Formats: sequence, C-alpha cells, structure tokens
Amino acid sequence: MKVKAKMKKGLVVVKVLAKHPMETGMRKDKKTDELIPAKYIQELICKHQDKVVFEANFGRAISKNPYVAFSFKGGQSGDTLSLTWVDNTGETKAVEAVIK
Amino acid sequence: MYNWVKKYFHVLVLIFAAQGFIASSAFAKEPGYYGLGRIATEEEIAGWDIDIRPDGQGLPVGSGSVSQGEGIFDAKCAVCHGDFGEGEGRWPALAGGIGTLTEDRPEKTVGSYWPYASTLWDYIHRAMPFTAPQSLTDNETYALTAYVLYLNEIIDDEDFVLSRDNFAEIEMPNKDGFFIDNRPDVINIACMENCKDPSKIKVTSAIKGITPLKHLEQTAAETENKVDSTKRGMGVYEQSCAMCHDSGLAGAPIVGDNKLWVDRIAQGMELLVEHATNGFTGDAGMMPAKGGNPSLSEEDLVAAVEYMVSQSR
Repeated sequence: MKVKAKMKKGLVVVKVLAKHPMETGMRKDKKTDELIPAKYIQELICKHQDKVVFEANFGRAISKNPYVAFSFKGGQSGDTLSLTWVDNTGETKAVEAVIK
Repeated sequence: MYNWVKKYFHVLVLIFAAQGFIASSAFAKEPGYYGLGRIATEEEIAGWDIDIRPDGQGLPVGSGSVSQGEGIFDAKCAVCHGDFGEGEGRWPALAGGIGTLTEDRPEKTVGSYWPYASTLWDYIHRAMPFTAPQSLTDNETYALTAYVLYLNEIIDDEDFVLSRDNFAEIEMPNKDGFFIDNRPDVINIACMENCKDPSKIKVTSAIKGITPLKHLEQTAAETENKVDSTKRGMGVYEQSCAMCHDSGLAGAPIVGDNKLWVDRIAQGMELLVEHATNGFTGDAGMMPAKGGNPSLSEEDLVAAVEYMVSQSR
C-alpha cells in the first residue's frame, strides 16, 4: 500500500494505492479451467490520532490495485496517519504515513 | 508572363551562381570536398551526444534523492503517469506489473520489464516531460530516476541519494529477462579467415517457384568450369526467352510443342541461331534480336536455342 498525504489549504489530501489482485472469484484459470478463488479487499480504514477519518467498503467490482483519494479537516503537517485494509480471506495490511 | 520570366531569370542566376561557387571553392580544396557544410563544433557534438549506456558511460556528475524526485514527479509527471506511477488513462504506467510478462496481458513497466536503469536516466533526460523535453537539469533527472526506482520498490529508502558513483549498483528485476536469440537462422557469423573458396561453393538445393533463383543458377554455372550447357541454356531461356516462348506471345513457337518446331528445326541450327541473334520477322510473328536482351553473349544464346530445340523435338 502506498500513501501520499499532503496539506493543501487547511485540508489533508490523502492518496492511496493499495496493491491487491482483487480477484472476483468468477474468473477462470485458462490453463486448468478452474475458478480462481475470490480475494478482494472488503474494508479500508484511515485513522488520524486514533480517530477514523475515512472508511471504505469495497466489493468484487473494484479494480485491481485500487486507488483512493480523499481529504479531511483537522490534520497537521507532521501528523501520522495509519491505514489498514482487510480482505475477504482475512489478510490484512497496515501502513503509516506522515502528512507533508 | 512577367512573373514567369522573373522566376525563370532567378533560376538562371542561381545556376550561374552555383557554377561560379563550385569553380571558385570546390576545386581549390582536396578531392572529396564539395564546399558544403562545416565541421560540427564541440558544443554541438556535446548537445547530440547524450546517450547513457548500460554500464553508466555518459552519465554526468550530479545527484538527486528520492524525496526531491517525489516533489518534481508530483509537479511535472504525475499528471500523466499517476501519483504512484500507475498511469493516468492510457498514459504509460511506470510501476507495477512485476511477474506479468508471461501472462496474456503483460504489463511492461520500468520495474517489470526494463533491464537497465541507465535507460531510465537517458529517457527522462532526453524526452521528458512530454511537453518540454530536455528541460530537466542533470540533478533533477537523477532525483526523478531515483523516485521512479522507488515507486518500483527497487529502492526502498526514502532518503536514498542517486548519483553517478552509485548508479552501477542498481539492479533491475528483469535484468536477465533478455537474451541473445538462439534460433539457428538468426546466427550468421561472417567468416574472416580460412574461409571456403567461393568458387567451390555449390547450390545443392533450392525451393523453387517462390523467389527468382535464376541469378543463382547462372552464377553457379558461370563459376563452374565445366558448364552444363543444357542447364545454362535453361537459365538463359527462362530469363530471356520464356516470356514469349512459354506462352506463344507475339507468335513465338511454344517450346515443347513439337508441331510448331518440326519445320523450324529442319532449317538447321545455324539459321535458327542467326534468326535469334539478329531478329526475324516471318508469317507467324516477330522475333526480336536476342529476344530483346542485347546483353546476351553468343554462347548463352546458342545454349538457349539448343535447349529450346532439345525440349521441342
């Protein structure tokens, strides 16, 4: 997961690229002709000082390597954001980013 | 009318001027000098000579860090290549795609495909940004190269500083993905010593009917001392005679059609050769001299006539 967080006119602008295959579970492997098991992010949460500032519920319809951008008030340059995603297989990934 | 004269006059003046120019300057210099152009200055050569080789040859002195690169990238590159090098719209993606080269839709990026980091430096410096190529300084180019490598996770440290000195340490993931084509028909090593005598090389087989091979047959026939006259005659025939004598064009007797040839053969070889050499117009049609190919030698012509007769008996 890659994150860019920047102060812009009093807002914190956050851009996130989550590296994930986002398999729907409906695609077939061309060689074996078997279904590729579903693997997609269900939840993406961004916290600023233990307070949730952004939460997204993803489904199968979201593309591979999803890109998300959002902004919120109240952050300051130098603060730390923590972002986490959880996918349907239970796998999770957390990263921290400093607001620039 | 006046305009025409004026134009014409200008052209004339130009011609005279050009002649005078040639007379006065070109012949005064050493042979091979035509009085055109001048030797490029060192600055001009330096302006063109901007390639960077895989071993880092050509890199200028300078350096740039990943974080510097991020700033420049966001300002000048991200609008097309995306904030994370993922590519906006149909603009090229710079990062990702690792491991996809063997898939149905290979994603060729710097990280997944390019074998050398020097190409990155060269390309950014030469052609980017798209709207203002060659506007970046050397240090900016180092910073951007470092940042694109960082986007591809080839460099992990955000404080990494790329410079000419540590450039060679960068190893690209697909470095070994390129190899010299090993199919047999792409290797053609030029023989430089102890080579075969070309006059002893024979064409042993050829696929017929696809490409014109007459010149090969002819060369083989010419180089061999014992010329097979039938073969030679066939070669000449196919090149110079067949156009008419295969189809009967212009009343030419078709080779292989015995009825058309019986009377002619009865006239004797000498007359046939004479007619073929100098041309002949008879009741049936017209034979041009040497079949319209004046470069034919007498031996070739005789061989061709003999071949045609032998095929038509």
